[in-house]
Amino acid sequence: MIEYAWLIPLIPVAASLIILFGAKEDPRSPLPWIGIGAMTVCLALAVSILWGFVSGGVALPYEKNWDWFSLATTIGGQSFVWTMPVGVLIDPPAAVLLFVVSLVSLMVQVYSIAYMHDDTRYKRYFAFVSFFTAAMLGLVVSSNILVGFMCWELMGLTSYLLIGFWFEREGPCEAQKKAFMTTKLGDSGLYLALLLLYAKTGTFQLTQLHQHFALGLVAPAAATVAAIGILLGAMGKSAQAPLMVWLPDAMEGPTPGSALIHAATMVAAGILVVSKLYFVFLAAPLAMEAAAWIGLITAFMAAAMALVSFDIKRVLAFSTVSQLGFMLCALGCGGYTAGLFHLTTHAFFKALLFLGAGSVIHSVHTNDMRQMGGLSRRMLLTFATMTVAVLAICGVWPFAGFYSKDMILVAAWNHEKWIFWPLLLTALMTAFYMTRLLTLTFLGDDRDHERFHHAHESPALITAPLLVLAFFSLTAGMAVAHDGLAARLFPKPTLSVAADAAAATPSASVAASAANNPQVQTPDAEQELPDWLKFGIPGVFVPGAMLLAFFMYRGPKFEAAEGLRSAFAPIATLLDRRWYLDDAFLALVAFCDGVAALAFWIDANIVDRVFVDGWGLLMRIIAEISSFFDGAFVDAAVDGVGGLSTDLGVGLRSLVAEGQVQEYMMYAAIAVSLAATLILTR
Amino acid sequence: MTLADYMTVSALLFLIGVFGALTRRNIIGILMSIELMFNAANLNLAAFDRFLHPEGLIGQALAVFVITVAAAEIVVGLALLLAIYRNTDTTYVEDFHLLKG
Amino acid sequence: MLSLITWAPLVGALLVLLIPKENVKAIQGVGFLAAGVSLLASLLLILSFDRSTAGFQFVEQWSWIPSFNVSYHLGVDGLSFPLVLLTTFMSFIALIGSMGIKERVKEYFFWFLILETGMLGVFVALDLILFYVFWEITLVPMYFLIGVWGGPKKEFAAIKFFLYTLSGSVFMLLAILAMYFNNPARTFDMIEMMKAGAAWSPRFQEIVFLGLYFGLAIKIPAFPFHTWLPLAHVEAPTPISVILAAVLLKMGVYGLLRLCYQMLPAGFAWFLPALVVIAVINIVYGALCAMAQTDMKKMVAYSSVNHMGYCLLGIAGMTAAGFSGAVLQMINHGIITGALFLLVGVIYDRAHTRDLSAFGGLAARVPVYFGLMALTCFASLGLPGLSGFVGEFLCFLGAFPLWKWQTTISVLGIIATAAFFLRMIQKVFLGAFNEKWEGHMPDMTPRELLSVAPLAVLTVLFGVYPKWPLDLMNATVVALLRK
Repeated sequence: MIEYAWLIPLIPVAASLIILFGAKEDPRSPLPWIGIGAMTVCLALAVSILWGFVSGGVALPYEKNWDWFSLATTIGGQSFVWTMPVGVLIDPPAAVLLFVVSLVSLMVQVYSIAYMHDDTRYKRYFAFVSFFTAAMLGLVVSSNILVGFMCWELMGLTSYLLIGFWFEREGPCEAQKKAFMTTKLGDSGLYLALLLLYAKTGTFQLTQLHQHFALGLVAPAAATVAAIGILLGAMGKSAQAPLMVWLPDAMEGPTPGSALIHAATMVAAGILVVSKLYFVFLAAPLAMEAAAWIGLITAFMAAAMALVSFDIKRVLAFSTVSQLGFMLCALGCGGYTAGLFHLTTHAFFKALLFLGAGSVIHSVHTNDMRQMGGLSRRMLLTFATMTVAVLAICGVWPFAGFYSKDMILVAAWNHEKWIFWPLLLTALMTAFYMTRLLTLTFLGDDRDHERFHHAHESPALITAPLLVLAFFSLTAGMAVAHDGLAARLFPKPTLSVAADAAAATPSASVAASAANNPQVQTPDAEQELPDWLKFGIPGVFVPGAMLLAFFMYRGPKFEAAEGLRSAFAPIATLLDRRWYLDDAFLALVAFCDGVAALAFWIDANIVDRVFVDGWGLLMRIIAEISSFFDGAFVDAAVDGVGGLSTDLGVGLRSLVAEGQVQEYMMYAAIAVSLAATLILTR
Repeated sequence: MTLADYMTVSALLFLIGVFGALTRRNIIGILMSIELMFNAANLNLAAFDRFLHPEGLIGQALAVFVITVAAAEIVVGLALLLAIYRNTDTTYVEDFHLLKG
Repeated sequence: MLSLITWAPLVGALLVLLIPKENVKAIQGVGFLAAGVSLLASLLLILSFDRSTAGFQFVEQWSWIPSFNVSYHLGVDGLSFPLVLLTTFMSFIALIGSMGIKERVKEYFFWFLILETGMLGVFVALDLILFYVFWEITLVPMYFLIGVWGGPKKEFAAIKFFLYTLSGSVFMLLAILAMYFNNPARTFDMIEMMKAGAAWSPRFQEIVFLGLYFGLAIKIPAFPFHTWLPLAHVEAPTPISVILAAVLLKMGVYGLLRLCYQMLPAGFAWFLPALVVIAVINIVYGALCAMAQTDMKKMVAYSSVNHMGYCLLGIAGMTAAGFSGAVLQMINHGIITGALFLLVGVIYDRAHTRDLSAFGGLAARVPVYFGLMALTCFASLGLPGLSGFVGEFLCFLGAFPLWKWQTTISVLGIIATAAFFLRMIQKVFLGAFNEKWEGHMPDMTPRELLSVAPLAVLTVLFGVYPKWPLDLMNATVVALLRK
């Protein structure tokens, strides 16, 4: 089946186009099922590839390339026509992600059938979702990082469309613009990194790039700059500090769309690109360190914001940012396997959380958790599945999140204790605020009776995807952590393939440079956590944080929590204002507008004046001078001659009758005959 | 018949033409006089050609050209005349003194 | 064949003169016929165009003014042929857009067709005098087209455009004459001139370069000679804005490659550091100026300044990728910005205003228009998968190895570009519907669709599969750098 892997991104694209152009807008349109069908095909392909690899039937990585277009290029002073390939590269992480992305997308689409059924732009929504998924799948399978970047940007476009789906309202419009611009800001870093990589290696092919790095052909400085550029891109897309401002606002879009953005596509892309270009980071320890710290700071800042928010979707958005920080931190600490593992498990439970929250919102028509409470009695299925997701994200054994988060903590422990402790604190904060969410929403007493009485369990099309995702949130961790499968699925790339590649390369100098390559690192010896942490975290700390949250938020008024909030009012305000990052962002926008206005003022008042009007003025001065010269000298001479003949004419005219043609003719005839006589008699 | 005879006739024709052009008061008359002058010139051309270069036909050809041009000229002249007549209801030159400065 | 392409519009123009001015249908018919002949002939040439040779093809040469060695010499290579295609194609599109012109149709079509001949001539001429003649021919029709059919300040805009560009071309003429008199062969032939160029002293090349550059920079338009452009664009009628942006600006960049780079290599290399700075200013400053606009057309005009900056940046990189990027960007900019002007014209026809804040929430009322506008805007801000990205990316790719910092700063221009296009989309199409336009906003008519749809199709096509345009130019670009 793997030879059809190139179809995976194309099927949803086709589905999207058919949906978009296939029929008129109609809430009962059967077109969305095309998208679901397409996604099912993708899922089947992905499953066959993944199962084939796990059971040993398929050898990965699998790569196949086709010619895309030819362009003239100059490398090292030589110009030639080079053919840009386009193709698929499926390594084990890609196989896993194919499965995850198509599964989550399929679930989201099934869910959306019920969720979006009375929207006026029903069909367009499904077209966007299919296209969104296609872009992500394209990024996952692409063997060419430029194509990957194109998919990445298209994802930015579709997220823009989805976030601003209800564009009649002000909020989504601002949010979509913010998302696009912030990610674009990060993208420019990735853009420059690609330019640099191409300038250094002359290729966009991932495998060839890897080889260049493995052979040590790229200077560490260049690798560091490229890695930082890639990191910037990831920071934008995966909403890392300080570019995280867009993600909390991104929930202005339809909830299932948010689920897709937060779980499997948009934000996962940043982590995915870092992992795809991980060899660049391996060659740039400084960038690795930066990634670790940025991940850590993001994880902490977002978790802190989640502690105080009462908007259910916003809490989930902050938790996404926080979890992405975990992943980036893991990657930065060298925990490649841990980071990608968490990306996978996170996709399941985060999609589940968003879809569950959507189910709740669908039922009570508010986002404010203070108006919920006790909903477990009304929506048992939603409650049960949400509980699974919360346990998973908190890291309770044996749910999926436990395994992956544990692995991240181990990676951090091995890398740097200064990262480990704050990260552990953040993990506990996660447990706290997620339990708080669950408690506020489902447990305790109903705070708003009216809403409570109207609440009802959602239809099967909504609950079925929840159950499927709950299954994976429960089992994915166990399955992958079992028997070292994680290391097989997410093998950490190394720069030590240098030796093999060098042996295959005939050039002796290349081999020599590879042998002396200082970038080749020996794999770190993995240490386990000390026992008290290894068992203490899941056994004591996490349950402790969860119980604390439960007791603090159980009552109808949660006085304890409110008391804490007023006791630490400045901090609470700081967190409510989201670390003032939004204000900083707005200030930046205002600043740019100011610069733009200034630029235009300069253009209209200085450049235009100097180079157009000034030019004209110069010409006019020259013209005035020459006009003066003309009038005073040249024209005076002409006037003199003219005046003379005028005077002569006036004098003569007084001699003859006026206006009679024949008289003139007579004078002419006389003159001619005189002239003729003169000439002939000479 | 010698060249001088032709020249005499032609000179006479020309002078008649000049006289007419200078004295006629009717514009049509003036135009006719001008035609006479043309024809005097044509006669000259043909005669010179016949007597001085009997091998060719250049003079005659030139004469034909002149006739054509004269026709064109008379067309323009008559058109102008018509325009004048429409505006002033007269064809007598002494009634015009547009050139008077 | 090239003569047919070049002169067919002129013949059409003369035929238009013979038709009584009341017979609008016949005038339009002749106009379309003439432009159509040109378009078809140029499309036919694609089939026989040899993509693997770098030299000039379809060459026609006759003696014209033998005493000065001026010849009627036409030919195209991978550099000019795509631009010829662009010109014939965009002229035809603009003619479709011109169906909306209701007054003085006869004169309009007359001038338009003459303009097309002039533009085509610039790209196919291989003799400097011929080149210069065509270059100047474009000015006169443009003057009348802006000055007669333009907006409120049309006379001022037309005069400004005419005088400013003319003053530039005077220097160009001086430079051409200098090249002629310093050429041992005493010829205006461009191919001969390219051979002679290497022998000139660097100082001579620098001076001649400046003369040529002055004329070209105004046309491009490169900072600081760009200020005529927004005014001319705003005042020009829609189809003329299309032509102005799609073709006329390209004449400058084409001249920079053909005349400056190929004939004056030393002068070009000498100017390179300044050129890259100008490119960066064009990109960043053009985008910033566009950000400050409230008039849609003016905004698009400034975005042209920004996009031509990409071309300059690609050229300044002195690499094959940069040159291909510059040529491709010219094509793409022609298509995309042409579409943008047409689309702005559509909304102006309905609302008689182009003020961004006068609208709001149109997306739900005019979905087709919104879709096309969004597509074009995203193409213009360089979204991958649409044609703007490829050209822009190649320009950056080509410039990066030589000018790392400058390229890095230019990337900021991309962000600013995104900012103002998104703002325009938001202000005009999103948000609550502005009730003022209730009933005044029908969706696009078939004629408008007919003029924009081909451009939209090409935008997507070249974005996904840039092989076709790139194949046309590859051999030539490689040869350009090999000498």
